Amino acid sequence: MKRWLSAVLVMVVTAGVLSAGGEEEGGSQAAGGAADLLGFPRNETLHANIITGRVSAPSNFNEWVGWKNRDRGMQQLMNESLWTSDFINGQGINGLAAGPPEYNGDFTELTIRLREGVHWSDGVELTADDLVFTVELLRDTPGMNFHAVMQEAGNVYAADRYTAVVELTQPNSRFHTYFRDFWGALWVMPRHVFEEVDDPLTFEYHPPLSNGPYVLHSFDPEGMWTAWERREDWERTPTGMLYGKPAPRYVVLRHIDETSARVIATVRHEMDSGYMPIESIRAALGASTYARSKRPEFPWAQVGAPTVNGSILNTRRPPLDNREVRWALALSIDIVSLLSVTYDGGAGMSALVVSNVPQYLQQYYAQMEEWLADFSLDLGRGETFQPWDTDAPARMMEYVTARGYPVPDNPDDAAHVFGVGWWKYAPEAAAALLEKNGFSRNSEGKWLLPDGTPWRIEILCSTTAGGDDYRSAFAAAREWSKFGIDAVALPTANVGTLGAVGDFDVIASRPVREPWGDHPDLYLSFNQLHSSFVEPVLGERTAGHRSRWSDPRMDAVVADLKVTDWGDTERLVEIGIEGMKILVEEMPAIPLFTLLDLVIWDTYYWENWPGEENAYMVPFHHWPNFKYLLPSLQATGN
Amino acid sequence: MTFLKRYLIPRLVQYFLVIWLGITVVFIIPRLLPTDPVEQMVDMMQMRGNVIDPAATEQTIRTMREMYGLEDGILDQYLGFWQRLFRFDFGPSMYAFPTPVVDLIAVALPWTVGLLATTLVLSWVFGNLLGGLAGYFTRSRVLKAIDGVVMCVRPLPYYIVAMLLIIFFVYLLGLFPLGGGYSVGGRVTFTWRFIVDVLRHAFLPALSLVILGAAVNHQTMRLLVQNVKEDDYVRYAKLGNVSERTIFARYVMRNASLPQITALAMSFGLVFDGALITEIVFSYPGMGYLLFRSLSFSDYNLIMGITSLSIVGIATGILLIDLLYPLLDPRIRLK
Repeated sequence: MKRWLSAVLVMVVTAGVLSAGGEEEGGSQAAGGAADLLGFPRNETLHANIITGRVSAPSNFNEWVGWKNRDRGMQQLMNESLWTSDFINGQGINGLAAGPPEYNGDFTELTIRLREGVHWSDGVELTADDLVFTVELLRDTPGMNFHAVMQEAGNVYAADRYTAVVELTQPNSRFHTYFRDFWGALWVMPRHVFEEVDDPLTFEYHPPLSNGPYVLHSFDPEGMWTAWERREDWERTPTGMLYGKPAPRYVVLRHIDETSARVIATVRHEMDSGYMPIESIRAALGASTYARSKRPEFPWAQVGAPTVNGSILNTRRPPLDNREVRWALALSIDIVSLLSVTYDGGAGMSALVVSNVPQYLQQYYAQMEEWLADFSLDLGRGETFQPWDTDAPARMMEYVTARGYPVPDNPDDAAHVFGVGWWKYAPEAAAALLEKNGFSRNSEGKWLLPDGTPWRIEILCSTTAGGDDYRSAFAAAREWSKFGIDAVALPTANVGTLGAVGDFDVIASRPVREPWGDHPDLYLSFNQLHSSFVEPVLGERTAGHRSRWSDPRMDAVVADLKVTDWGDTERLVEIGIEGMKILVEEMPAIPLFTLLDLVIWDTYYWENWPGEENAYMVPFHHWPNFKYLLPSLQATGN
Repeated sequence: MTFLKRYLIPRLVQYFLVIWLGITVVFIIPRLLPTDPVEQMVDMMQMRGNVIDPAATEQTIRTMREMYGLEDGILDQYLGFWQRLFRFDFGPSMYAFPTPVVDLIAVALPWTVGLLATTLVLSWVFGNLLGGLAGYFTRSRVLKAIDGVVMCVRPLPYYIVAMLLIIFFVYLLGLFPLGGGYSVGGRVTFTWRFIVDVLRHAFLPALSLVILGAAVNHQTMRLLVQNVKEDDYVRYAKLGNVSERTIFARYVMRNASLPQITALAMSFGLVFDGALITEIVFSYPGMGYLLFRSLSFSDYNLIMGITSLSIVGIATGILLIDLLYPLLDPRIRLK
């Protein structure tokens, strides 16, 4: 027994030595610690988390092949794009480009003028030759990303040192959007590196060159972290030219799997900017006086992200092939109840496929107000029903107030937070629509299909518990179950495959591809709905929208958008409204709420974060705009 | 010669047959699932930033199928797989294209083997010894107390135990790092400083595995010993005045250990699958996350790489134990 006690003693001592070693050299763990193991001075280093998981191929920085964890710093620190979307300020940022894209009259030629004086991190100037080379290489190399879409590029040449011209093989007024960063874009590659490469598909591009304000410092071969160092010549990057010197000397992007661990990292000042579920954000706020969220009070998060969540309905699978049945599903949702379940009332309701960002509230929701109020459904038996409900936000506010959260006084802010309306919770109207189409109820009040069999709906969603799709799927299942439909949410890793081949009833996801947030163009959102992409046979994959819905009127909208200049925002809004009216009438997907984008900051080492009261930039450390935020941060001196 | 002909050679044939069969099944099953690696990748690319115009999607998918080697028929893929396997080449990972699967495994495996092999042995040794003592010396108060603790710990879900350790040792006491294999900024070197850093990071993951692993072994061994000590030969030994210590060590523990040794051997084969929850909770590097990711994305090549190792590991473990068993248990002899 003595031997055992000795062994236990040895273990305890070993543990003590190990933990003591941590105190001595692992200064990053404790507030006020001096440096990480390799010597990143904590007060000059910003730590944030990677949201896409462990880096899958840590030594590979060739973003032009396959998918990479670009939020390990590649998009926030290392690469500047030609243009970057900025939904906070409502207009895009010209990065590598000196100005907006310039098309000729029939959209067969695109001229891109580059910012002068931008240099790669090895000192070579970035010129139009780099851009021309990038387009040509991607166009001519099967297997590279954007290879397929670059087939639209015909002759590409440098008109002068800073001007590139792309002659298009067919008219396309949106070719430049491939280069527009919205959490990902086609980045310009350094010609002088890639022209020496035999096989660009297997080239690792390591160490990578940077045209952004930071350069790669080091990374973990297991993909847990990547460290970046501010460039000595940061002023020769668009970030430096536009916003000045980034404050942190080092930025470390680190993966922390478990959300509770992220809370602890925030509280222990190990993570300065973090992404975590709203419940975790509230836990961190409660545990640390230095922690702060985007909004200081309810709902704590960034409420106006450009993305909407909703339910995509498989319109090729009966009974969802019937527009009135799809509408019945919308009317059987109590949006206040659904949002109370998903985010405790914190996410804003969105009845349209555009979100509640201020510019879309003004451009789309306000301009469609009258039409939405007049819109009606034929319930049969000579009855009509006007579903638009402007009282829903007020009911939401009542719920929120009852929960003890403060409600914004400013009506504009309230609209931003809660939305401007949704569809009435009208189970009677929904029942009328179903009965009109041959549905019936059994003795237990459950809905039966016209053939007398029980109506079952399976809602696919991603397996990320706490994610928007997951919350939305379970909440929708709850609403439809209350209405008498046998509805269940099915989290699966196979949403991509099952969605593509049409093996689903409903998918909880974005109703359509999200628009830009800072620009009214809805081409990307509507184009996927074009009838030419619809595969009518379930089981065969579709390249278009998962709903497999199409309408000649929407084809016309897409055609109109395609020949409308990107700069003609007034006309773009007009066409966008036409498209949205069609989507409301047909309801191939039910938009539910604007995504609640989440971030928490620790102000112990860095302050002047872009909170709601000081919203100078997109606030997320995983967005490409992060590099434009860094110059505004201030070291606290801790 | 008899041993060779009647036991070793048939056993080796069986060993290779099991490996072939296992790998073949693993080759087939993912391809029968409704998950397509290319669709998953295209979906992820679209969800995470890459704009792929619908008109270009078909071409993108076709190109990716060619790159991933999925355009060939199943039989060609199968034969190609075996040809590559003999060169220890599992092809490129589809998820982390074009990184070779072997490279991904080579980075992750040492972490997993280091953590799991160590904790397996520790939990086996501690659990079995304490369980054996508890089963034999049933009147010891100390052992009864340990037994009580084990009874409380054993039913706890692993996740809860791991989180409790983090909350206690990291959040409240601040003694250990939150996660990772080593400190941010560190470089893998064989220096004392780096080794201590690695051990510090491995301590809590290891402790969480040892606590629950030892508890399982403890309970199993206690029951085994309680049964064995009632056997006739133990009674006779006691009547024959054999010392208590000898009876415990040579008569009881040796016999009771046999099924535990088999379980240990099989557990070593499972080391290659990693410990997913440990890796997630402690953000610890290793094979578990790699396997999870490969399954999520139907990364056929990565699945094959990891499971092939696992199959070979388990089959080899069982083979070795079969060959060593006669040495451990004199009752087992080839007739």
